[in-house]
Amino acid sequence: MSFTRKPGGKALDILQNLPRISLANLRPEPGTKKAEKKRGRGQHGGNRSGRGHKGERQRGNRPRLGFEGGQTPFYLAIPKYGYNEGHSRRAQYQPLTLNRLQYLIDLGRVDPTQPIDLTQLVNGRGVTIQPQKRDYGVQLVGEGAGIFAAKVNIEVQMASEEAIAAIERNGGMVTTGFYDPRSLAVLCKPVPFFISGQPIPKRMLPGEDMVPYYTDAANRGYLADPEKIQKARIALAQKYGYILPDISKDELFHMLSMIKDPRQIFFGLSPGWVVNMAEKKILKPTDDKLLQYYSS
Amino acid sequence: MFRISVTVCGRGISKRLASSFSGENALPSNLRIPSNLVDRARAKRPPPPSDSSLPVLRRCDAAIPVHLSPVQTWVETLERRDSKLLGLVDLHPDVFAVPTRIDILHEVELWQRNFKRISRAHTKVRSEVSGGGRKPWRQKGSGKARHGSIRSPIWRGGGVSHGPRGPTSFYYMLPMKVRVQGLKIALSSKLAQDYLHVVDTLNIPTPDPQYLMDLIRYRHWGESVLIVDAGEELPENILQATESLKTVNVIPAIGLNVHSMLKHEVLVLTLEAVKFLENKLLWHNERFTPLYPFKLPYTDLP
Repeated sequence: MSFTRKPGGKALDILQNLPRISLANLRPEPGTKKAEKKRGRGQHGGNRSGRGHKGERQRGNRPRLGFEGGQTPFYLAIPKYGYNEGHSRRAQYQPLTLNRLQYLIDLGRVDPTQPIDLTQLVNGRGVTIQPQKRDYGVQLVGEGAGIFAAKVNIEVQMASEEAIAAIERNGGMVTTGFYDPRSLAVLCKPVPFFISGQPIPKRMLPGEDMVPYYTDAANRGYLADPEKIQKARIALAQKYGYILPDISKDELFHMLSMIKDPRQIFFGLSPGWVVNMAEKKILKPTDDKLLQYYSS
Repeated sequence: MFRISVTVCGRGISKRLASSFSGENALPSNLRIPSNLVDRARAKRPPPPSDSSLPVLRRCDAAIPVHLSPVQTWVETLERRDSKLLGLVDLHPDVFAVPTRIDILHEVELWQRNFKRISRAHTKVRSEVSGGGRKPWRQKGSGKARHGSIRSPIWRGGGVSHGPRGPTSFYYMLPMKVRVQGLKIALSSKLAQDYLHVVDTLNIPTPDPQYLMDLIRYRHWGESVLIVDAGEELPENILQATESLKTVNVIPAIGLNVHSMLKHEVLVLTLEAVKFLENKLLWHNERFTPLYPFKLPYTDLP
């Protein structure tokens, strides 16, 4: 395509012969500004001003919403059942498809040569997490398992079996880790947290209901036994019918085997440290009690 | 009189007037021309030819899309009254040659006017007007109309039913990219209509305002000029010269806005201002959406 179009096109050519664009020449696109309906003015807006004829309607005395004239209203006639009970308190996990992950890696928004964390996904604008809205992290979904072809060390909060199989088939590592809401907020937006000057909190352990999930090797939980995880990898390979590649012979083995401590939020930073972004310094606690608390 | 009313669209007026006389170049001798007619000696200058001998003083820093080419314009100097062209300058097409959208300019202009507006009009409601707690006369038997309070909205001196209530703010923010596009469109339209001049620096020989007025008159720039420089420190001479002038104003490049550009007829940019503006306005084409305000540090924002 060696043909270069003139920048601005014909519009700028026509503009050269038109009057100067000034404050008096501006107007909105015709049809965008519709005139507001003025009640009580003119032949059509006046008289009863759109209120109807007599009665509660005109006099503004209609009963409350849902009232059906005395008949038991719908919202009381239907019996209650706990379909949505506690719905606003349920944990939500934003889905991340393997399609999307491959797309991000291909475009260079997420770097597969470093461990992929929720922070990396958010920095590459791959997912949008709202910790304040009961999001507990991201879940890996198996859609796109057929085309996924990237070797990554990824850490998510939940993962489906198909997704784990697809990643391990390509020689990668999956871990599922729990982040309590405060740690999740810190993980998603580290810079505003560092600027606030608070010490990095220690990650809390999962609640009673999620402990079985994170101690299970089939889910690659971060609290599970590493030997059981190895056995689970072999079992999954047999189940899905692929040969499990040996990552210990890989040149990126060190990067692929990097896993966070259960109390750690960031790679390379321990809980209790204060990061000073302006002066690019890290302050570590020296008091015994603090060290004991943060290393527990 | 019909032909004089054509003066509103100033430029090219002599051409249009002449065309109605079937090819004659001269205006009729009995034509009465008003004194506030836009300068007839000002002719639109065509864009610099591609084989011009002047050196290109500045090329675009950012990469230009493959299907576009940079727009060029002359670089002048303010040192002398007569315009000596120092060279040419390349301007990025994504800033100085974007398609014109008057509706975006209209939106940005309305926003600039209204987002700062706080209307302090406030009227008292019948409960706030002093007095009016007692029933003026008994309900029945007095022969007068029935009333409950002397400050009801029907009464003279009573409260206003649906008047303005307290300070109201008309604050709203247009999306950042719309505001940026407004600036780009304003710059492009100034360049396309030949109201943009690029100058190497703002050093003038005297702090005399008359020198600037003479220069503008001589070069037929226009009635009002907005001069833009990049940094905060502006040369003293130009600051002194423009202080007393109403129609010639100097602003730093961060203060550039659509309203000022449309209010002033001519826009004069220095080379540093061009660089600053291109840098700032092109960044928005490639950035990610903000996770937190852009003022906080980002290590890897494209």
